[in-house]
Amino acid sequence: MPTRTEPVRYGVPAQLFHWVIAGLIVTQFVLARMSLHLPVGARKLALLARHKSVGMTILMLAILRLAWRLRHPAPPLPPGMRPAERFAARATHAAFYVLLFAMPLTGWMMSSAKNYSVSWFGLFTWPNLIAKNEHAFNVLRSTHDVLSNVLFAIAVLHILAALKHHFWDRDDVLMRMLPSTRQR
Amino acid sequence: MRRMMMSAMMSTALAATLLGAGSAQPAAPATGFSADPASSRLEFTGVQAGAEFKGSFHKFSAAIDFSPDALDSAHFDVLIDMASEDSGDKDRDDTMRGADVFDIAHFPSAHYVTKSFTKTVSGYTAAGSLTLHGVTKDVPIVFKFTPNAAGGNLSGTAELKRLDFGVGRGDWKSTEWVADAVKVAFSLSLKPKS
Repeated sequence: MPTRTEPVRYGVPAQLFHWVIAGLIVTQFVLARMSLHLPVGARKLALLARHKSVGMTILMLAILRLAWRLRHPAPPLPPGMRPAERFAARATHAAFYVLLFAMPLTGWMMSSAKNYSVSWFGLFTWPNLIAKNEHAFNVLRSTHDVLSNVLFAIAVLHILAALKHHFWDRDDVLMRMLPSTRQR
Repeated sequence: MRRMMMSAMMSTALAATLLGAGSAQPAAPATGFSADPASSRLEFTGVQAGAEFKGSFHKFSAAIDFSPDALDSAHFDVLIDMASEDSGDKDRDDTMRGADVFDIAHFPSAHYVTKSFTKTVSGYTAAGSLTLHGVTKDVPIVFKFTPNAAGGNLSGTAELKRLDFGVGRGDWKSTEWVADAVKVAFSLSLKPKS
């Protein structure tokens, strides 16, 4: 696009965090949906075991990502965005960060409350966060479920916003999160 | 006969030796105990999806004949009510009691009986057989015996493979998500048999 200048991109680590975690979150939705209507059994156990391992991976990446983000501010939003748009963008990004922690933590607590310890791909076992408690499990499962719907909603919003910036506003918001393709 | 040529004292000592006791009271059998259900535990640890889980049997009876100096007459007989299995989650317990795992409708109890005992450096081992899920296999146990005012404490461990006993059919036969090896631990509060 002639009107687009070479964008100030996110750094390589920030882009890696973004796309790897995005891919893992999609995996999580797929695993959760696949296990949802299965009866209690080995297949469900296997799917949920993978779901938990991936979830703990996301939690560890979220810690690293937050630490990185605090030291490496995001590129500035493009000029010309209205205050409401700026607020919406910042609020969505903040909500993502909250959910990156809240989703795995509620899941981990769910497992603990049901007395199923969480393994990380069979390599080691995480300690239980809370004691076995049927009521807590039900509350946590509902919370995990509601938060997953919130996550889905803001992910859709996030993707639509990125596409709107790219194709409608014709700014560099989407390009900032993609590797440079500029020819030398 | 040689014995007839010996003094009375010598012959008594020899008789004791011939009886194979080698202890001060060769005739004393092992003391009979029973496990106090309220303060005794019988637990198992399995591995599910890479993570350990613990369970226990709340109902079992243990008849324990044991004295450290009368291992030849020692004998354990433990009867476990499989319906009392408790792993801390109803879904898992229902599955474990069901037809594909313990199948308690057909095999409501498990039974452990010892055959022989051996003294070790830190305690004892017993050879014995476990009947579980209708299958009988040798399962040794390693234990310690600590006498106390009330009787004694018997605590120890065993390891077994669930598939040796046909525990786990269908989807549960695979060891990918539920390990074959299961650890058993017990601590029995022994009281003299009344």
